[in-house]
Amino acid sequence: MSMFDDAMSVTMSGLKAQATRLRVITENIANVDTPGFHRKMIPFTVEPSKSGLIDQVEVGDVELDRSELVEIHDPGHPLADENGYYQGSNVSLIIEIADAREAQRSYEANLKMYEQTKQMTSGLMDLLRR
Amino acid sequence: MDVRSLYAAQQYSALKPAFEAESLAGEATSGPSLQDGVKEAVGNFTDVLNKSEEFAEIGFKGEADPHALVEALTKSELAVETVVAVRNKVVEAYQEILRMPV
Repeated sequence: MSMFDDAMSVTMSGLKAQATRLRVITENIANVDTPGFHRKMIPFTVEPSKSGLIDQVEVGDVELDRSELVEIHDPGHPLADENGYYQGSNVSLIIEIADAREAQRSYEANLKMYEQTKQMTSGLMDLLRR
Repeated sequence: MDVRSLYAAQQYSALKPAFEAESLAGEATSGPSLQDGVKEAVGNFTDVLNKSEEFAEIGFKGEADPHALVEALTKSELAVETVVAVRNKVVEAYQEILRMPV
C-alpha cells in the first residue's frame, strides 16, 4: 500500500500547489487597477521527502515582480504628480489569464492521476474477490 | 470401520498444531513474524481511520484544507476495502475447512 499512498500524497501536493497558484492569479487580476501594485508570483520547489523515495511539490514564498509600473496619464487623479502621471500596477491581464488556464490544465492532469491511482488500487483489491 | 475412523481421528489431531500455528489468536508457534505483521497492519489501519475522522471533524467545524481532507478520506476508504477483502478470504477458508466431511 505504501507506493499507492506515496502516489496519492504527491498528487495531493500538486493539486494544492496549483490551487495556490490560482489564488495568487486571482489576486493579481483583482488588483489590476490598483495604483502601485506589483504583480505577485510564487515559485514551486521540490520538497525532499521525509520517508519513502517520492519528493513532493512545495509552494515557496510569494515574490513580487519588480518590473516597472506602468505610468498612466490622468491629471484628475488624486495621486497624479505635477505632469499628470500616476503609477498603476504592472499586472497584464493577458498574461494572468493565460497563467490561469495553465493552472487549470495542470490541476485537471493531477486529478486524472489521482483517479487512476484509486482505480488501480481498487482493481488490485478486486483480485481478492474472485 | 472402527480402525479407519480411529486412523482418521489420529490424522486430524496431527493436523491440529499446524492450524493453530497459522491462526491469528495468541501463542503462535510459527514464530513472531506473521503475528507482528498482522498487528502492525491492524495498527496502521486504525491510524488511517482515526486520521480521516479527525479531518472530517475539522471539516464540519470550519476551515479544513480540502485537499488533505479528500486525501485522508480516500486512503481510509481504500484501507477499509483492503481489510474487508482480507477478512472475506479468511472467513472463506474457515468455512471451507468446516465443510470437510468427517
